[in-house]
Amino acid sequence: MMLARHAEDLFWAGRYIERAEDTARLLDVTYHGLLESPLLNAESAWRELLELLNLDQVFGAKGVPITDSAVTEFLVLDPKNAGSIVRSVARARDNARNVRERISTELWEAINTLFLELRARDLRADLEREPYQLYRFVKSRCQTISGVSAETMSRDDGWRFLLLGRMLERAEMTCRLLSVRFGRSNQAAVPSDLHYWMAVLKSVSAFEAYLRAHRAQIEPQDVLEFLLLSREFPRSVLFSLRASETELVRLGAETTPTRPERLLGRLRADLEFMDVHEVVESGLPAALDALQQGILAVADAVERHFFRAAAPPELHVFESA
Amino acid sequence: MTSDLFTDYQRGDFFDEVFDPQGEIRPHYRPLVERLRALPPDELLRRARLRDTILRNLGITFAVYGEAQGIERTWPLDLIPRIIPADEWRHVERGLVQRVRALNCFLEDLYLGERAALRDGVIPIWLVQSSAGFCREAYGIPVPRGAHCVVAGIDVVRDACGTYRVLEDNLRTPSGVSYVLENRATLTRVLPLVFAQHRVRPVNHYGASLLSALRNLAPASASDPPRIVVLTPGIYNSAYFEHAFLARQMGIELVEGRDLVVDDHVVFMRTTRGLSRVDVIYRRVDDEFLDPAVFRSDSILGVPGLLAAARAGNVSLANAIGNGVADDKAVYAYVPALIRFYLGEEPILPNVETYLLWEPDQRAKALSRLHELVIKPVDASGGYGIVIGPKATEEELAAVRKAVEAKPRGYIAQEVVALSRHPTLLDDAQRDGCRVEGRHIDLRPFVLTGEKIEVIPGGLTRVALRKDSLVVNSSQGGGSKDTWVLAADENGESV
Amino acid sequence: MRFEIDYTSEFKYPEPVWESQNLLRACPTTDARQTLLHYELRTVPGARVHSYIDYWGTRVDAFGARAPHDRLSIHARSSVETRPTGPMAAAPAWKRLSDPAFVEAHLEYLSASRHTAWNEALRAEAERRAAPAGADIVGVVLSLHRMVGSSLAYVAGSTTVGVDVNDILRGRKGVCQDFAHLLIAMCRSLGIPARYVSGYLFSESSESEGEPQGECVKVKTHAWAEVAIPGAGWWGLDPTNRQEIGPRHVKIGHGRDYDDVLPLRGVYLGGGDHHLDVCVSIRRGASAQQQ
Repeated sequence: MMLARHAEDLFWAGRYIERAEDTARLLDVTYHGLLESPLLNAESAWRELLELLNLDQVFGAKGVPITDSAVTEFLVLDPKNAGSIVRSVARARDNARNVRERISTELWEAINTLFLELRARDLRADLEREPYQLYRFVKSRCQTISGVSAETMSRDDGWRFLLLGRMLERAEMTCRLLSVRFGRSNQAAVPSDLHYWMAVLKSVSAFEAYLRAHRAQIEPQDVLEFLLLSREFPRSVLFSLRASETELVRLGAETTPTRPERLLGRLRADLEFMDVHEVVESGLPAALDALQQGILAVADAVERHFFRAAAPPELHVFESA
Repeated sequence: MTSDLFTDYQRGDFFDEVFDPQGEIRPHYRPLVERLRALPPDELLRRARLRDTILRNLGITFAVYGEAQGIERTWPLDLIPRIIPADEWRHVERGLVQRVRALNCFLEDLYLGERAALRDGVIPIWLVQSSAGFCREAYGIPVPRGAHCVVAGIDVVRDACGTYRVLEDNLRTPSGVSYVLENRATLTRVLPLVFAQHRVRPVNHYGASLLSALRNLAPASASDPPRIVVLTPGIYNSAYFEHAFLARQMGIELVEGRDLVVDDHVVFMRTTRGLSRVDVIYRRVDDEFLDPAVFRSDSILGVPGLLAAARAGNVSLANAIGNGVADDKAVYAYVPALIRFYLGEEPILPNVETYLLWEPDQRAKALSRLHELVIKPVDASGGYGIVIGPKATEEELAAVRKAVEAKPRGYIAQEVVALSRHPTLLDDAQRDGCRVEGRHIDLRPFVLTGEKIEVIPGGLTRVALRKDSLVVNSSQGGGSKDTWVLAADENGESV
Repeated sequence: MRFEIDYTSEFKYPEPVWESQNLLRACPTTDARQTLLHYELRTVPGARVHSYIDYWGTRVDAFGARAPHDRLSIHARSSVETRPTGPMAAAPAWKRLSDPAFVEAHLEYLSASRHTAWNEALRAEAERRAAPAGADIVGVVLSLHRMVGSSLAYVAGSTTVGVDVNDILRGRKGVCQDFAHLLIAMCRSLGIPARYVSGYLFSESSESEGEPQGECVKVKTHAWAEVAIPGAGWWGLDPTNRQEIGPRHVKIGHGRDYDDVLPLRGVYLGGGDHHLDVCVSIRRGASAQQQ
């Protein structure tokens, strides 16, 4: 049992760190994918990325054309973009600071250091000269944070909320990735280009793991199945959902499952027993969309069940004659 | 002959803690001074850096108002401890216990009793009624066992004769005890051999003592053990570090106002498993921000309905509401009279000689000697607003004269106490080493009212780091020393 | 006279609010001129009420509603018996006001407070109005009382609480709180202790004696002043209605000004604005004593 507010801070710290890392990873792959295959349409690649991150409208509102530098700056350092890496890290750091008494000094320092170092860099120059270094820096620091938290935090409720946040965010990100790469197009238009699918796998660091499972054959449906249903690869949707479920069960009551548990259990079961080929026949976009909505519903149920007690700060005072 | 740390030390015209008027080292300081003299100069510097590292790693910081960065500075701790022999401490301790006992009686009488001290003219009614700290909303809120001041910080100084006098009472949310504990932890690591040479009374039981005092406050309806929390205004408060520290020391939850909710006049914590009842709150939030349903404030630092819950006897607050009337600088002058009235005893620790500027004679005399006195507004804290006559400019004196004449009930005047001085280590950039100079100090002991009234041995010795300055508050550039109270042997002598 | 009083406050919130905490001061007091016979309070949603007497001697009912709700009703019913007081017969000399014992006993009602902070212009005006009455305290007070009553126009809703009393004098209009605050400020500026009273007025819908029992009028809570006359206690004056207090005035409590005795104060979380309807109905009952 812990303060609802602390649980909420840890949950969101987990989500924001994951978000920052996944954004860096996706940027890395998109950017280098374009470098390696100059025939690909850059604008549509960036547009797809923005859609994937659900930031296409926010970007559109800026009224600037889609170019390499505009999009990368938007996603990395734009303070007005709530989903930028800089903002995600800043928010994770605020969350962590609120629960500083609960997390280890090492974890606080890992998050705080990332925040301070990002702030100290000339990110615009980095993006111009060596984006690879920057993305690698962000990824590696986020992985450090992951490692430090795993090694220095007691497996108490605080830890569980931290992990739950990360896993749910990861599941949602991967789902979105699949939605954009697969779900938008109909069967016939799915690119058969090898490089395209390699990029998809690399964007979740799954390329090598996939090859070990499937050897050099890269079939779109196998990629889809791998990223959706692999029980072993830590970034697959199923893996993330199962990890989330484990923590949720431990956070719940002994007797009956909580509402988020029930929602997640059903979602995970539906996914686990999904026949990918059947789904592709009958309507992949709808299935992926439903999956994504399901994950959002679980996150919402977590908020309502555990944090609803944490009140909003809006206080009204009145007097009457 | 080589010179040592103390060769050029100037005692000046002040009571010096280490050197007596003949320039001899007082007996309880001899082992320390010898040891310090024996240390080579760069060794001392090395210890100083070790101290800095330890403090930084422990994260001991504090915030200074008005600093542009608004960030925390490392706590300034001097290497040379202040030592108090057993018999001296016994005297101070008895005086503090007596004083806090009388103050608790006064507050109980004022808010829950017949106001006998007012009725019998011991203290003027107008003084209490016009005091900013007099809290009419506290009227009738029960305080278990009359423990209004669970934690009191009574500031004590030594005058030119070496007499301990009370300078000021702090009965609302006194802070600084975390530094007492961290100073000790740091100094034992930096000067372990010196420490071992003395039998110093420990202070690290403070958390246990405070917890016990808070338990003693539990209302009748509390569970066993009572559920206790520390209520903090949050991370932007300058004393946040201490709030978190004490919560950790006591093993209890640190909460903010928004973590608590009152339902049917019972206080609960918002947890991931629903609402969990709270019985005692050690609150480090000021009265005016505690309950927006009662006090005129839009702040979210407090808990709506908290006062009604306390009235209903379902939760206890430490310290109680309304203590500000008793640490009011004007009421200060009457505390010796309150001791006599409520306890029938002579005060053991005297006040600093204080002039009440609303009494025409005293005002006339004080105004004629303005440049010799300290003028304090009744309503200030943290050392702000005080005018020290001998140090003030003509403009400052004229301004304060005008203020006093306009509102005599707003000011008191006190003799400048030549605060005692203590050798303090200063970095000497020229010699690339350290030198020792005398600096003015005071003492803030912490007094706990639980089942009994208990004083933590020593307390926070604050040092005015600026040469010749009398201002010791950390928020205005002061520092501190570890305070060692020596244990007594069978004869009551220091060991 | 005997009155049955029904005080109702209805909150409506466009969006649900939660964790509301309230302090109600609606219960008639018992003193030399009135006796509270009965008082009960009900709320919807139902709440545990904690009642206590505050520093000024007024009964306060504290209650809250934690769960989300989009309306809150507060219903207090009381019955009270009032007695007429005789006319002010005392005529103490002006210097009695500086008698130290008198001053000390009325200290809190002599200083300016948040709603009665007078400026030089107000004090000068008070002096001007008081001059003709000379050293007769009662005369001075009556003079001020009449002045306030005739200078200010009663305009419902014309001010919000918290209007500066000096602006009231200048603006020449207000509601009953303002009339009371102005009279109090003027008295205090001359060294005459005065306090603010909150209560109910069974306003006359017909002037005749022997109104039928059961007659009911709808009112708002009312405000008036009490002035301390050396040797004669507190004298109640209602500047809004230009009359002395009588048996139709039912007192709830007093304080330095509105802040000390305001009828309903509270906080709540969430939602947005609130809509509040306050309705007080007073009915004459069968009196226990002959008139």
